[in-house]
Amino acid sequence: MLQDWRFWFLAPMVLALGIVVLFPSGYLVWMSVTHWIVTDPSVYFDGVQNFATLFRSASFASAVQVTALYLVLSTILMLILAFGLALALSGPNSPGFIRAIVVMPLVIPPVVAGFTWRFLMNGEMGFLGAFVLPNVGITTNMLANPTGALISIVIADVWSRTPFMFLIFLAALQAIPRDHYEAIRLDGASALQEFWLVTLPMMRSAVVIALLFRVIDALNTFELIYVMTKGGPGRSTQTLSLLGWKTAFQGFDFGGAAALGVVMLVVTTVCASIVYRRFLRMPS
Amino acid sequence: MSHSGPAGQNPFARLGRLAFLGATLVFVLLPIAWLALGSLKTRNEALALPPKLIFTPDFSAYQKIVAQGFLGAFGNSLTIALSNVVLTLLLGTPAAYALTRIRGKVQDNLSFWVLSIRMAPLFAVILPLYVLFKSIGLLDTRFAVSLAHLTITLPLAVWMLMTYFRSVPEDLDQAAMLDGATHLQILLLVIVPIARPMLASVAIVVFILSWNEFLLAFILTSRGSQTVPVAVASLAGTMSFDWPLIAAVSVCSMIPALLFVGFAQRHIVSGLASGAVK
Repeated sequence: MLQDWRFWFLAPMVLALGIVVLFPSGYLVWMSVTHWIVTDPSVYFDGVQNFATLFRSASFASAVQVTALYLVLSTILMLILAFGLALALSGPNSPGFIRAIVVMPLVIPPVVAGFTWRFLMNGEMGFLGAFVLPNVGITTNMLANPTGALISIVIADVWSRTPFMFLIFLAALQAIPRDHYEAIRLDGASALQEFWLVTLPMMRSAVVIALLFRVIDALNTFELIYVMTKGGPGRSTQTLSLLGWKTAFQGFDFGGAAALGVVMLVVTTVCASIVYRRFLRMPS
Repeated sequence: MSHSGPAGQNPFARLGRLAFLGATLVFVLLPIAWLALGSLKTRNEALALPPKLIFTPDFSAYQKIVAQGFLGAFGNSLTIALSNVVLTLLLGTPAAYALTRIRGKVQDNLSFWVLSIRMAPLFAVILPLYVLFKSIGLLDTRFAVSLAHLTITLPLAVWMLMTYFRSVPEDLDQAAMLDGATHLQILLLVIVPIARPMLASVAIVVFILSWNEFLLAFILTSRGSQTVPVAVASLAGTMSFDWPLIAAVSVCSMIPALLFVGFAQRHIVSGLASGAVK
């Protein structure tokens, strides 16, 4: 093995990822079975106590609920918008500059996106929250109201993350061979039939991949929510990653936060292995 | 006519398509325009409703970036992103090349490992990294942040480069071997020159990801090596709500990304989606 050049080419990367990922995630597992509260000098092995506390806590239950709600709402909106955009912009004559504008939010820092939306939605001085919405009859202060805050976050997230899904769909649409359409057109199919019988079936795997990426992405969303609401009002926008941050850096319970990290790690690893085994395995 | 069929055939469909695109463009551009305009207004103008659309641009918010010491954050972000690009390419290029020249189980398992890291929740590494960096005194250093950013950038870079190297015919390697080249020479003198455009776009994607990253930079730094996104977030949390200043810092934070996207859009686009699109 040591004679093989490939070993030496791979070793530095494996070592680096070992330091910044593998070792930390192993350490995380150890932390998760440890009673480790920063303000308490005694650190000791505590079995599955952290997990038991976590699963019993009301804040975990509410975080799961908020995360699921946010995930479902934002994903449905993104799917519709991204699919529509991909259909509208996949033609050879669609102007490139529109595509460039649509993709722009992808390279804008999520912190900036979140903050701008927070300002737009603000009930006292925001263009949308204090001017447009009241003029169409909506007078609730969006960010101060539990439902409104969640909706605001979903909107900002859709703004920021739809381009990624759009790109996946666009690539998939453009890969559908033209003769599929020509064949069905000769049979006298309508535009709607074309969509149902050719476009949708050919897009199936792209949609599944996009959805799995979306789940992982949504579990990771942090800064957008952090700058918009910090998880509030109350717990109404406190997702799992916000809860983890609060547990560790405001509650100083490193053991409890690590237990939550382990739970999230397991969920995403399962998702990742589904994506990989079914869709991305490279031909060898 | 659109080859995807439904759109553009009858006038109603065409009108619907235009309305949909128009609405989307308004949705996408509104926040960006709001930021750009806000950064050029005075504090009172920026908060005025209905918004003032005609006003004399005021550059004092941009002057404040310098006066209030935000250049330091830009320096930090630049140092961190650039060193991250160098580290990522140095570690990722040989690894990706070797991965495309291995067959079977090793290749399969390693590629899966790399991909699963790309998808792992950052939250799983943050807490241990925080403890680790704290114990060796690296907390609040630019080095720690650029090292931590490898968790995001290295797997993505390896994945992008693997897709590319797979398309480089192995005959090229063979020919160079017959000429007596070592594998390192093949990589540096044959593969890297061919892959230059791809390496450039990987570098750009990695730069943008590292430049925009918030969570790791937020947890691992306090004052000394704060990055731009962290500075924006801390400005946003202050009591004196200086919207023009926040907008000006935000506009400046988007410059590198927008510059790069303008000039290598296609590559970046496929790069960011790589791992998602075969």
